[in-house]
Amino acid sequence: MARLANLETEYPVLDSTVRNFCASHGIFSAAFAEQNNSSERLKEGIAQVLSIIDDMHQPWLNGMELLEDAKRNKHVFPTGIQGIDLLLGGGIRVGQLTELVGPSSSGKTQVCLRTASNVARNHMVLYLDTGNSFSPQRIAYFLGKTINPSSAQAKNQFLQKVMSNISCHSVFDIFAMFDVLHQLESYLRCQDGRGGCQMRLLIVDSISSLISPLLGSSSTQGRALMTSTGYLLKKLAHQHNLAVLIINHTVGGEGGYSKPALGDSWKCIPHSRLFLSCDRGSNNYNVSILRHPSMASGKAARFVI
Amino acid sequence: MGSHAKAWLVEDESAREMLDRVLTERPFLLLPPLHRVPLRVGNVVELVGPSSSSKTHILIQAAITCILPKLWKGVSYGGLGHSAMFIDLDCRFDVLRFSELLNHRIMEAANGSSSKVGCHQKDSEAQFERMKPYNEELFALCMKRFLYIRCYDSSEFLATLKTLHYRLQKEREVHGVNVHLLLIDSIGAFHWVDRGSSSFPLEYDNRKSWHLQNVSEAVVQEIRRLLLVHPMLVMATKAVVLGNKYSTNELTWNYRKWSAVDNPYSRNITSSDQQLPYREYMPAAWQSFVTHRILVRATDWRVHPFLNMCTGMYDLLYVSEEEKEERVMENIVEKGKEMTKKRKETGEAREVKVLAKKRKSTQKNPSYFSNE
Repeated sequence: MARLANLETEYPVLDSTVRNFCASHGIFSAAFAEQNNSSERLKEGIAQVLSIIDDMHQPWLNGMELLEDAKRNKHVFPTGIQGIDLLLGGGIRVGQLTELVGPSSSGKTQVCLRTASNVARNHMVLYLDTGNSFSPQRIAYFLGKTINPSSAQAKNQFLQKVMSNISCHSVFDIFAMFDVLHQLESYLRCQDGRGGCQMRLLIVDSISSLISPLLGSSSTQGRALMTSTGYLLKKLAHQHNLAVLIINHTVGGEGGYSKPALGDSWKCIPHSRLFLSCDRGSNNYNVSILRHPSMASGKAARFVI
Repeated sequence: MGSHAKAWLVEDESAREMLDRVLTERPFLLLPPLHRVPLRVGNVVELVGPSSSSKTHILIQAAITCILPKLWKGVSYGGLGHSAMFIDLDCRFDVLRFSELLNHRIMEAANGSSSKVGCHQKDSEAQFERMKPYNEELFALCMKRFLYIRCYDSSEFLATLKTLHYRLQKEREVHGVNVHLLLIDSIGAFHWVDRGSSSFPLEYDNRKSWHLQNVSEAVVQEIRRLLLVHPMLVMATKAVVLGNKYSTNELTWNYRKWSAVDNPYSRNITSSDQQLPYREYMPAAWQSFVTHRILVRATDWRVHPFLNMCTGMYDLLYVSEEEKEERVMENIVEKGKEMTKKRKETGEAREVKVLAKKRKSTQKNPSYFSNE
């Protein structure tokens, strides 16, 4: 919270009389404004302080404005995989965090690469890679499967265009990821103004390898960092209209079955959680809903990559 | 002197008059699905439950009941006709689902009134088309009464609460409608972040540091001040982890404390079960502010597809002690109705239990453990 004296340069109403009044009531910073029915000048000063506090939080919206924003901006992106698209009723939604959970080799990275190749045709994609699992050859393969066989040169051009829409960053610890996300935030703020090709998908592969080392049993810092990461991702998703895809691993639970990693505090952060598994020795994958804003959990589907 | 003292004892109103006055000024708000709980403005309700136990859904239903009008163009909607404010600390609110639920309620009420008149199927369809512009108008009216804000950290939440008073005054002046409901989704959302930042004082002088306790106290203080001037019903959700301290296993939760043997519709936790089935993590300032605490959990415990209940359960049954076996079997009978056949009534289950106790071998009773 800024001190009132420092705010005077920005807001000349807050001159010494107002500050003396506030000081007499024990108000030293913008956080503690009280109401009083004395002179006009004081009233102005108080109104100014209140408007400063008003800027510190998000604006209030009513239901119709929310609905309009959802209809206009929060589209659904198909992943390109028929089984998942049918299960989710279209695909992954902009403005929401979708988490893919599964044991090793259950197709999580493949789903991400397929989604990235699908979205990158028209929008930009950012891929945060923690385990060197990003594979441009695989993306080229997915793209090659779906475009019409025309001249080799046109095909090449198309590939170039789409691949240049995907940017991949390697992050190996949580602070590097925070750095990248803050840079992304400032980039997106200037992007929102102009038109053209905009970033619409953020993939984090995988978030559990960044956060699990921090989660000890006694320290609270790990969980605080995990929650802050979740909120930063949610903020980016909502304010800049991104779809966020997160990959999480599984750990052994009680009774011998596996449960998603990162514990119970992480459960409340993603909007939707999908559990992926693979039939041994084949290309068939199963996906089931662990949590979804509008669908019952337990619904399952199969898909092939 | 005597008459002066006697003047003191003259009553203002009788008890009956007071009751009448209070019930008109602060009536009971019966919000489904909590319509069995008599709530009034000024109460602070906390909905506690594990994740995915419909706490937010209850809030949304309460908001819809609040924003619908009681009577509009001849159709009774059974709402309160006031505004509702939703402070989203979880940032997971889905406005499309909200609008679907609102539309569903509007159409249900409209159909309900038309069916009373006794229309045929074709007539009701035609009437539906006729009612459509009215429904849309009502939908827009209700959505405008729903105010929403999301906060990404505690400082935004506090800033919202501090300016809420002026916001409410403005709403009253502009729309002439009072706010009667304040909904907070997940009051414990910033718990870990605030706990983690308690080691960093904000300023080097004698300002208060950004402690978990301080934040909680400030929140409670602001809401209390607000309730003095704008009487509202406050409903907050809180996500907890259920389970007693001896076993964190989701399968062996002590469901006996929860399930009512006789009446499945009224589940009361008796006074002998004072030990809370979850660990409380909110500071004492908030805990003492809450007037009503409602525990919610999902009764239909669906078996997750990847969990092979048969093998998992067999291991549990034959590895754990006899007492746990009993409870686990009761759980299977109570909760795993999708797995076991419906005709396994309690009598038969107990018989099977006894059999399993005597039988120490790993031979399974095929009729009991068969799954569809």
